[in-house]
Amino acid sequence: MSGIVCAIRGGPDSQPTIKQAIALAKDNNLPLYLLYVVNVDFLSHTTHTRIRTLSKELREMGEFILLTAQTTAEAQGVTAHGVVREGNVGDEIIGLCHELGADYVVLGRPQTRHEENIFTHDLLQEFSQRIEQETGAKVVFTRESSS
Amino acid sequence: MTRPTQRWLLIAVLLAISLALVYAGQERVHADGPASDPLIIGALYDRQKQPVVGAQVSVFDVPNGEPLAQATTQPDGHYFLSLSDPIPNHLMLDFKRAHFEPTQIELDAATLQKLQAGETVNLPDTTLPRRIGIAFWIATLVFVIVLVLIALGKLHNTMAALVGLAVLMAVSYLGPLLSEELFIFDFRRALGYIDWNVIFLIMGMMIVIAVVERTGIFQWLAFMAYRISGGRTWLLMIILMVITGVASALLDNVTTMLLMTPITVQIALSLGINPLALLMPEVMASNVVGISTLIGTPTNILIGSYGRISFNDFLANLTPGVLMALVGLILYSEFVYKRELKTGSAQGISPLLVEKLAERARITQPDHLKKAGWVGAGMGLLFIFGEHVRLLPAVTALMGATALLVWIKPDIEEMIEAVDWTTLVFFMALFVCVGAIQEVGLISFIADGVAKIVGTNLALSMLIVIWLSALLSTVIANIPFTAAMLPVIGYLTATIPGADSKVLFYCLSVGSAMGGNGSLIGASANMVTSGIAERAGYPITYMYFLKKGFPALLITVGLATVWLFIHFL
Repeated sequence: MSGIVCAIRGGPDSQPTIKQAIALAKDNNLPLYLLYVVNVDFLSHTTHTRIRTLSKELREMGEFILLTAQTTAEAQGVTAHGVVREGNVGDEIIGLCHELGADYVVLGRPQTRHEENIFTHDLLQEFSQRIEQETGAKVVFTRESSS
Repeated sequence: MTRPTQRWLLIAVLLAISLALVYAGQERVHADGPASDPLIIGALYDRQKQPVVGAQVSVFDVPNGEPLAQATTQPDGHYFLSLSDPIPNHLMLDFKRAHFEPTQIELDAATLQKLQAGETVNLPDTTLPRRIGIAFWIATLVFVIVLVLIALGKLHNTMAALVGLAVLMAVSYLGPLLSEELFIFDFRRALGYIDWNVIFLIMGMMIVIAVVERTGIFQWLAFMAYRISGGRTWLLMIILMVITGVASALLDNVTTMLLMTPITVQIALSLGINPLALLMPEVMASNVVGISTLIGTPTNILIGSYGRISFNDFLANLTPGVLMALVGLILYSEFVYKRELKTGSAQGISPLLVEKLAERARITQPDHLKKAGWVGAGMGLLFIFGEHVRLLPAVTALMGATALLVWIKPDIEEMIEAVDWTTLVFFMALFVCVGAIQEVGLISFIADGVAKIVGTNLALSMLIVIWLSALLSTVIANIPFTAAMLPVIGYLTATIPGADSKVLFYCLSVGSAMGGNGSLIGASANMVTSGIAERAGYPITYMYFLKKGFPALLITVGLATVWLFIHFL
């Protein structure tokens, strides 16, 4: 198996990333795997007992968000699959790359800096090196940065 | 233990608690036997006319001599000193209590004559002046630190309150080894500040909510709103606001937004509109309409229990004002999000996404929903009519929770997990922290200060309570704020002419809940909504919330103020 992995959240910040991933999939005639990672850490300061309920809700919301992106990709002749995972976004991207033997990973540069995660500006470069070393997939950054 | 055994054990515990609360709710009359010795009866109060409990009262014939009799003041501030013959010609009473100035009064000749004749004398009430010692500053500092830790989110709310409790206890027990002045209160006294009605009401409602939230009713309602609106986004917004508001009044705001936000995001995406155009009005409606019932917000539960305000009282005195505020909020939201809503209508609806939405919007547990509906209706009746038999709301909630557990037989471990024990511990620890500042007199000083400003002017005090609590709720957590304000409001209610209608408690309810709309950190529901929206790629920043939410605060609190003025003045 091979393909392109693209982790998205949805919203305007994800659009350039989705666009680039679709273009890359078309150019290389590869299937596109759109990944949504459920993370409910933000509940830790409010109501941790709702984590199970919220995980289920976010999983379904993720499927819906992926469906919107899949529709866009398929309209352009690209085979697109939606994958929803739960946990740490970095680990899940690398895990999916391993499973698929991915050729490319498309990474965006989200505008938001609310959370300390691998998409923050300081850590993004380091994370891309980790992907390339651990999975052999080539990392492509979004050309049209929204930041 | 097997699961059925665990279930029955939990049910037995809940029933036992219900019965204990019913028993505790009944007024008991103690019949004291006739005293043969002459008695001195009196009562101690602080400057706010609150009883001083646990003060040591001694009677002496000579200063610094051996006391002839001693007593401790009761929860109502009364003391009873029994003297034995012969009664000397000179007697003085000595009052000692931590955080109060030691006070002595000398009995006059007429009183002495009565005592010598073997009669019982009732002394006029004594007011003990407060004393500001080091314990005052420590308790105040601990409370402020707890508030700051909660506001900054550096520690979990429960952890912050527990740290406060631990420090208070450590100072109270270890401090006196260095200086008696460091004593704040003992553990028994600290536990006395915990309002168990609040704890058990919240616990019972958590179990009910856990059953309801799994039925899929929220998703179904949201989809129905979508269907009914027929693509008219302005109408969709109104219906979603009403659904969210009503759900928040019957359940709790956080659960409501936690379940409404993901489905709302999906509806917005399928319509091609910015989800924030629906989410912001929803969460603001949740904060506004939640206060129309006793069980709608934790602050109302606190206020209802302290001020002895029933479910019906909230409905009768707040709901019309809440409806006025909701209408104002709807008009405001339609205006503010006019552009975003129009964009959606123009872009049309994706059939594929609608199909997916419909697939999601189904009642997943119809049998549970039906049973929860019956139990909910029964609870509603008990909340409304239960006050005639002095049925505490906590008992109704526990009975409802027990009935659901027996009838539905859910996975008991899931139900136990669904009870947010950390929140319950947070409330307990918070009650102790607030109790500490009450104990050392900070609340009394605040009450004195407010009383000096407002005098006997009810209208002015209403304005100050509503707007001060609304504005402060935008920056500090409204639960600890409300808990701290309750004794102050209680004092103002007792002293300001016309305030015995409990209007100031309603003002606090309006201010502390609607104030949550003023900023992102103003309410837990805001934080949950923002967290989920960000996970859909639509972050709600602090500034965004402030820009949209603060005008909403001004409008809704303004309209609620108008209602309270019309209704109570």
